Amino acid sequence: MHSTAYPQAPASDQNPIAEFRAASKHYGEVVAADAISLSIMPGEFLSFLGPSGCGKTTALRMLAGFEAPTSGEMLLDGVRVNDLPPHKRPVNMVFQHYALFPHMNVADNISYGLRQQRPKPAAAFVAQKVAETLERVRLPGFDTRRIWEMSGGQQQRVALARALINQPKILLLDEPMAALDRKLRREMQIELQSLQRALGITFVLVTHDQEEALSMSDRICIMRAGRIVQIGAPRDLYDAPNSRYVADFVGKSNFFEGTLSSVSGLMGAVDLPTGPGRGRLGQDVAVGRKVSLSVRPEQIYLSPTGGAFAVQVRNRIFLGEHTEYLVNNPSLGDFLVLVSRQTEATLGAFDPGQDAFADWTPEAALILNND
Amino acid sequence: MRPKLINRLLLAPAGIWFLAMLVLPLAVVLVFSFGERGQSGGYVPAFTFAQYLNLPARWKAFENTLTLAPVGTLIVLLIAYPLAYFLALRANPKWRTLLLILVIVPFWTSILIRSYAWIFILGGRGIPALLDMLGLHNLRLINTPFAVLVGIVYGYLPLMVFPIFVSLERLDKRLLEASADLGSPPWRSFLQITLPLSLPGMATGCMLVFILLMGEFLIPAMLGGGKVFFVGNALVDLFLQSRNWAFGSAVAVALVVVMLVTVTIYMRAMTRWGNGRDDVSLM
Amino acid sequence: MSDTPDHISPQKFMAELMRYRKGSVSRRHFLGVTGLGMATTVLGSAMPGLITRPAFAAGSIGDSVVLATWPNYHDPASFEAFTAATGAAVQVNVFGSNEEMLAKLQAGGSGWDVFVPTNYTITTYVEEGIIDPLDMSKLPNYDAASFDPRFAGPGTVDGKLYAASKNWGTTGMAVNTSQTNGRVLTSWKDFWDITKAEFSGRTTVHDYQLTTIGNALKSFGYSFNSIDPAELADAEKLLIEVKPHLFAITSDYQPPMRSGDAWLAMCWTGDGKQLNKDIPEISYILGKEGGEIWSDFYAIPKSAPHLDAAYALINFLLDPAINYKEAMFHGQPVADARVDAMMSAEIMADPIIHPAAELLSNLEFGAAATLTDPNRAEVMARFKSA
Repeated sequence: MHSTAYPQAPASDQNPIAEFRAASKHYGEVVAADAISLSIMPGEFLSFLGPSGCGKTTALRMLAGFEAPTSGEMLLDGVRVNDLPPHKRPVNMVFQHYALFPHMNVADNISYGLRQQRPKPAAAFVAQKVAETLERVRLPGFDTRRIWEMSGGQQQRVALARALINQPKILLLDEPMAALDRKLRREMQIELQSLQRALGITFVLVTHDQEEALSMSDRICIMRAGRIVQIGAPRDLYDAPNSRYVADFVGKSNFFEGTLSSVSGLMGAVDLPTGPGRGRLGQDVAVGRKVSLSVRPEQIYLSPTGGAFAVQVRNRIFLGEHTEYLVNNPSLGDFLVLVSRQTEATLGAFDPGQDAFADWTPEAALILNND
Repeated sequence: MRPKLINRLLLAPAGIWFLAMLVLPLAVVLVFSFGERGQSGGYVPAFTFAQYLNLPARWKAFENTLTLAPVGTLIVLLIAYPLAYFLALRANPKWRTLLLILVIVPFWTSILIRSYAWIFILGGRGIPALLDMLGLHNLRLINTPFAVLVGIVYGYLPLMVFPIFVSLERLDKRLLEASADLGSPPWRSFLQITLPLSLPGMATGCMLVFILLMGEFLIPAMLGGGKVFFVGNALVDLFLQSRNWAFGSAVAVALVVVMLVTVTIYMRAMTRWGNGRDDVSLM
Repeated sequence: MSDTPDHISPQKFMAELMRYRKGSVSRRHFLGVTGLGMATTVLGSAMPGLITRPAFAAGSIGDSVVLATWPNYHDPASFEAFTAATGAAVQVNVFGSNEEMLAKLQAGGSGWDVFVPTNYTITTYVEEGIIDPLDMSKLPNYDAASFDPRFAGPGTVDGKLYAASKNWGTTGMAVNTSQTNGRVLTSWKDFWDITKAEFSGRTTVHDYQLTTIGNALKSFGYSFNSIDPAELADAEKLLIEVKPHLFAITSDYQPPMRSGDAWLAMCWTGDGKQLNKDIPEISYILGKEGGEIWSDFYAIPKSAPHLDAAYALINFLLDPAINYKEAMFHGQPVADARVDAMMSAEIMADPIIHPAAELLSNLEFGAAATLTDPNRAEVMARFKSA
């Protein structure tokens, strides 16, 4: 499972709608995007995920046309668009904080894109499209409202409607839900997803919120320091991260460090302070190297009676469906264990200070380089 | 009780200032405007509308002022806008502060000194002498309407540049990206986004320049050779030469009234235009 | 007259600026003020340590005296000498117009001890009760007999001497003869005619109704002081006709005359002398129809805080030897025969300072009624706004 071939998008018989070919963006000494290569397929929902400064926004801005690559190529529909200005690109963006025009009402904001077309579309057509679009984003009758009279969620829908009215080939979303509260964000995520399915438009989302990326995307492109680290479906990234960085960024993970002592087939053994720990090889690793054994908290069993590692419960956080325990093993240190409600129902809850045993299967552990 | 007292104490200096510097002089001028001129000038108490009935004698001055103020404001606006635009959106941020300071630097000296400088620049030994060497002979610049215009633009430019600069600098640049993203070429983005959103700055600048131009007398006197007569010049002559304080007061009251009316109409128009927008504040 | 303008203190310069901004300097101009030596006196009095005072005199008349006067009208050395002699430092306030002086005195609290009114304002000061007759016993240097009654006369009202003659002068025209193609201007009619023709755009007139209207009236042969409506109508018609041909309506005509922008200017004696001295082709001419003659005086306001010092200062400045030095400094003629006697034949023959008797005899003093006539003010306003 140390393949580096990126999984392709759903329908591989189609041509990519957008393509980065070793596209780099430099600002003086700073390298914001470093030789990005990526194909975006029609109709897919792709997310750029990473911490701030990882290059995800730069990638999106190259797509929109706000930045021209310093080197490499940017293609839309197979055509090189490096120097095509934004107003000539068939893509539209939902901006972070929406960037709605404060001097226009809702209808004028939404119809802005239509009104830029030449020849100008008929007023009746514009009005009809505005009404349709408002309906679609569930804001019927809001056309004459002023922007500042709307809530954050409503503004978000207006921004969405404005970007959709020109029926772009790609809809770009730049952290569109960062300003919404948690509940509203969940709602919007679901709404966006269903909208994307209904419209069949390619969505490209930039986010630093892994949950958001995991829940909405067909594919996630994880970035770090201007480079793409891994691309894949959410489940693949979660189950088979190709680096400690991805494992850490996508979901929670415990890392136990040690030296790789042996390799056999797809499995290997790591010398942990408690003895050898077996796991799957997550990427190219060499015997004798310092590596980490990465284990997801929900893959660890906690038992009052027996297991490989004697631990003491330090802390307990009730999360509803799950309970998260912070446990300590004198040799391994602190690590997290996630226990489902069901398991707790049979084994009983653990109290802080209580002694217990933790264990996991070798298949649940992934051997990754320390980087 | 206590906070109220503190509030009053805090407001007192401003209140006294307002009373002493604005209300009182205006009240005096109003009283004087109903009086009569003394035998050797000055003011004699009376109650007569004679001064107001005599106002048509200064009609020409009002006409000149009401032509100059809007036209001058418009020209200052047309020159200040590109400058403010450059400073706010195009200039290298490293140099922006320096460039802004350069815009204010002329304000560090008196307008009188600067006007004298212009007298020499536009006078026979200045630009016309240079043009003469280039073969353009007998060009007169000083004491022409052009010279007055140069003086006005020069003197009032910063008052217009700054409010526009502030509104342009505050402009969210992503709005322009949004506009471009939605298919608008740069020049149309300027007309549809930048221009309307810098309107508050333009409104403030125009207001400042217009009000000050209504009372202007120095620039036309110095760069126009005293041949152009504005209400401000009429007031100077009435108070300091013919010492007709009563009539001068009536002219001053009329100027204030004209200004109030113009400004009210202007604000009404702006408010209607802004249609209750909270981003369009007038002052 | 001094060629080298002394430095003026920054405070004084700013004060002048502020006054100019208010539009109050009209007659003798701001530039004259900033280029003159008056400030050394002001500075000297502001910093008493600079002036050594004789111990014996200190305090007898007080230690200061305030003089309100015109720009470029005194030799600073005179004030230094006065201070050395009496211990009183002279504080000088420079003024731009008689109207402004009058306004300041009418308002009260001027703090002036001595001021310098022009002939046509003295009756007004007397009527308004602003000045008292002078106590001749305190002015031993004033020898009534040696003053030309023509110039000193306006100082006497109802037989009482209210003001002592300082200097006199005329209002004529300064013309740049290098531009006239040999034509010689001799009259106010010439002045207006050439302005409408060859000198179009090259002439300046005063921003002062007394002289501008007066000299328009003179070109028709009317009195300089006329307030007759029909005559004023003629003058107004002429002025409005001439206006498009004027370079400027300004009392600050030296700069454009010097730069060559203007070729002809309505001009007072002092400016005429200064221009002629620096640029010989600019000559100073009196209109043969007549025009204005004026004289300035020393007077003491009733409100003078240092009365003894006021008399001492006037008496000191009227000392013929001092008065002579003053005249040599500012170049204005003096009405005192004792001073004329000290002057060289060359100066006595200078046609600017001492014009020919037949020209002088046509000149008129401005009258108080001329200055305050409301109709003339309106004519001027219509002329300026035309």
